[in-house]
Amino acid sequence: MRRHLFAAVLLCAPAAHAAEFTWSETTDPQTMDPHAVNSTPVLGFLGNVYEGLVRRDEDMKIVPALATGWEPIGEGEGWRFSLRQGVKFHDGSDFDATDVLFSYERASSEQADTSSWFAPVSGVRMVDNYTVEIMTNAPNPIFVDSIANWMMLDSGWAKANDATRPDKDAGNYATLNTNGTGPFRVTRREPGLRTVLEPFDGWWDDATHNITRAELTPIQNPATAVAALLSGDVDFINPVPIQDTERLKQNPDVNVIQGIEARVIMLGFPHEAATLKYSAETMDKNPFADVRVRQAVGHAINVPAILQTIMRGNAQEVSQLVGPGMRGYSTGLAERPAYDTDRARALLAEAGYSDGFSFGFKCTNDRYLNDESVCQAVTGMLAQVGLRATLDAMPVQNYWPELRADNYDMYLLGWSPGTFDAEHPIRFLAATPNEEKKLGSWNFGGYSNARVDELLPMIQSEIDDTKRQGMLDEVTAILQDQAAYTTLYVQPLIWGTRANIELTQRPDNFFNLRWVTVDQ
Amino acid sequence: MLAFVIQRVAQSVLVLLVVGLVAFSMFRFVGDPIDNMLGQERTQADIDRLRTTLGLDQPFVVQYVKFLGGAVQGNFGVSYRQGRPVSDILMERAPATLELAAVSGFLAISIGIGLGVFTAIRRDGWAANTIMSLSLIGVSLPTFLIGILLIYLFSVELGWLPSFGRGDTVRIGGWTTGFLTESGLKALILPSITLGLYQMTLIMRLVRSEMLEVLRQDYIRFARARGLRDRAVNFRHALKNTLVPVITVTGLQLGSIIAFAIITETVFQWPGVGLLFINAIQFVDIPVMAAYLMLISVMFVGINLIVDLLYFSIDPRLRADRTKAH
Repeated sequence: MRRHLFAAVLLCAPAAHAAEFTWSETTDPQTMDPHAVNSTPVLGFLGNVYEGLVRRDEDMKIVPALATGWEPIGEGEGWRFSLRQGVKFHDGSDFDATDVLFSYERASSEQADTSSWFAPVSGVRMVDNYTVEIMTNAPNPIFVDSIANWMMLDSGWAKANDATRPDKDAGNYATLNTNGTGPFRVTRREPGLRTVLEPFDGWWDDATHNITRAELTPIQNPATAVAALLSGDVDFINPVPIQDTERLKQNPDVNVIQGIEARVIMLGFPHEAATLKYSAETMDKNPFADVRVRQAVGHAINVPAILQTIMRGNAQEVSQLVGPGMRGYSTGLAERPAYDTDRARALLAEAGYSDGFSFGFKCTNDRYLNDESVCQAVTGMLAQVGLRATLDAMPVQNYWPELRADNYDMYLLGWSPGTFDAEHPIRFLAATPNEEKKLGSWNFGGYSNARVDELLPMIQSEIDDTKRQGMLDEVTAILQDQAAYTTLYVQPLIWGTRANIELTQRPDNFFNLRWVTVDQ
Repeated sequence: MLAFVIQRVAQSVLVLLVVGLVAFSMFRFVGDPIDNMLGQERTQADIDRLRTTLGLDQPFVVQYVKFLGGAVQGNFGVSYRQGRPVSDILMERAPATLELAAVSGFLAISIGIGLGVFTAIRRDGWAANTIMSLSLIGVSLPTFLIGILLIYLFSVELGWLPSFGRGDTVRIGGWTTGFLTESGLKALILPSITLGLYQMTLIMRLVRSEMLEVLRQDYIRFARARGLRDRAVNFRHALKNTLVPVITVTGLQLGSIIAFAIITETVFQWPGVGLLFINAIQFVDIPVMAAYLMLISVMFVGINLIVDLLYFSIDPRLRADRTKAH
């Protein structure tokens, strides 16, 4: 018995190595299954292990990956992809069209969290072993962009391990094990503890990194993460708390990498509600249904001051539902409503609220960077023009149920467009809510505009970029005129690295190991 | 005797059931797990479907009864966050917490008793007075602050010890241990000091006051009069007699070392059940929260039950009283 015990002792202490790389993030990827959870921690991490037909480069541009090229079929009936030959999965099996078909069925199945990507798809056809046609219901210009995170699984591997469908509830083999075509393979996975990656020798592309081993450890406590970076226990942390940014910049041993994330922070209103819910005196009507009141909110908030003080100069103000750099951003409509309290008061007086009114303002306190502080500042600024908000900040787990139950008079929302295209927030935030068509599912306030609803399907199927941009500009103009949302700023992205690390930061907050170099 | 045992066990089970009921009635206030489990592109239909699948649309009493039904068969359900059986996850995490608690407890007892004896014997020396003043820090500073201070001193400034984690571990059967590797031992130092500091100062102050009490007793004077050496008097006679209350208190503190490990584990990213519980709260991972709370309450109830039974067997008066009363 004792002999057996000793035989079972397994020493897992790898020697310190030159180009080893360790990093920490707040959230551990909750699964290793690329179709089970559609979230940044999961897809960002698995982008190092699995690959899709296309991928995004350093500047977010779509470039070939497992497909070498693609072309539209006919008048926008679909897309034809030519697959890369000679690609191997980590277990050595070949990648071909059957894996694409299988991955389509898997990722679009009801059990998958990624099925909405395939809502426009009417069918997938295998032409030959290295050619696949994906047919769409209507012409779809951004389809290729929208599947950049659709990752390929080996059909044989999935079948052999009984993981042909993702299983979010009970988990299966693919929850803990991986077999991708990507530059790194997972050699050890301990959920919530550590995940170890090693370069895949058989990768089809040229490796641009110099990592021999990479290890991800989630660290939830921000102070611990900063200490780990300062002491050199980790090479990279994401994110750096805003309040520590200046201090880290002063330190010669570490670098702070700043950019803007794709996430737009905004205020939302109850468009449909008949009355305010939390007002002390305005019981019988809903002032926010009046466009002038919503415009007054826009003029009353001093966004530059918020960015200067609370965000310490790390964010950028924004006038529309996507930030600059996203596809379809309306460059001609980049002006936010000017900070002008007189104008705000005048608009309120015009709407019949010269004495202002009181209302309830719901906010998160753990979802977005410094969200509660921002809400406190907004509350103070609104009070200057007579809009007396009672702030109620809560953890995000309690927040969404409150918003779904319409328990707010005004709310804070951050939106990151999953497709990095301006169409995305229109579909989720501006379209009239329609369960069947999967429209407006985050449009809590029930904003509705016939012209926006009419333009959305046209935008979705317009192949001509100029015409498409024209329609996107029209929607943006409508949303700005109607003050459907009061957009505030684009959230910053702040990463910290040791001074000898070079890496690439993308606005989608995906961290790619293949762009990391460790200087000795 | 048997009636007493049965009565105590029945009371313990009742306490456990009530703890579980209170826990389940609170879970609603922690938040809604659905939004964490579904992505940005979910629809209301997805939300409703998942809620039904998980049984979250039912009253909490029903959820609780279902949980109990599984728990008595050793099935604590599947974690919402990790999609794996909760019992597997707890088994993975338990060694980290138990090793940390064991080392903290050992440090607290050995250093606590040692310093307690020292400060009692040299009660007016400058060293003893300094130790007594410093021990106030252990009692009054919150754990997370001590942890952060230690990290900044020993990891960031001096670079001697790791700032987080458990180092490399060795797997022996179903147990992972950090005792057998250098990095594992190094990683234990700061968290175990942080976790054990409060208990250490508590034991030290307790030993000191008991010791001072004992040193005044006649038999100590008599021992000195017999010409025994100080060492024999202090350790063989005095210390032995101070230990009875110390052991009682230490036993009761053992449970709180494991329960308070939550804060220490969060500060040091120590991969034990406490950190697991904190993560579960953030994600509203109800199966994990429920299993953890039940285990902790089983532990506390168990310790109390043992203490009760020990008293019963040690103290004959208790037995006599009971037979008279009935």
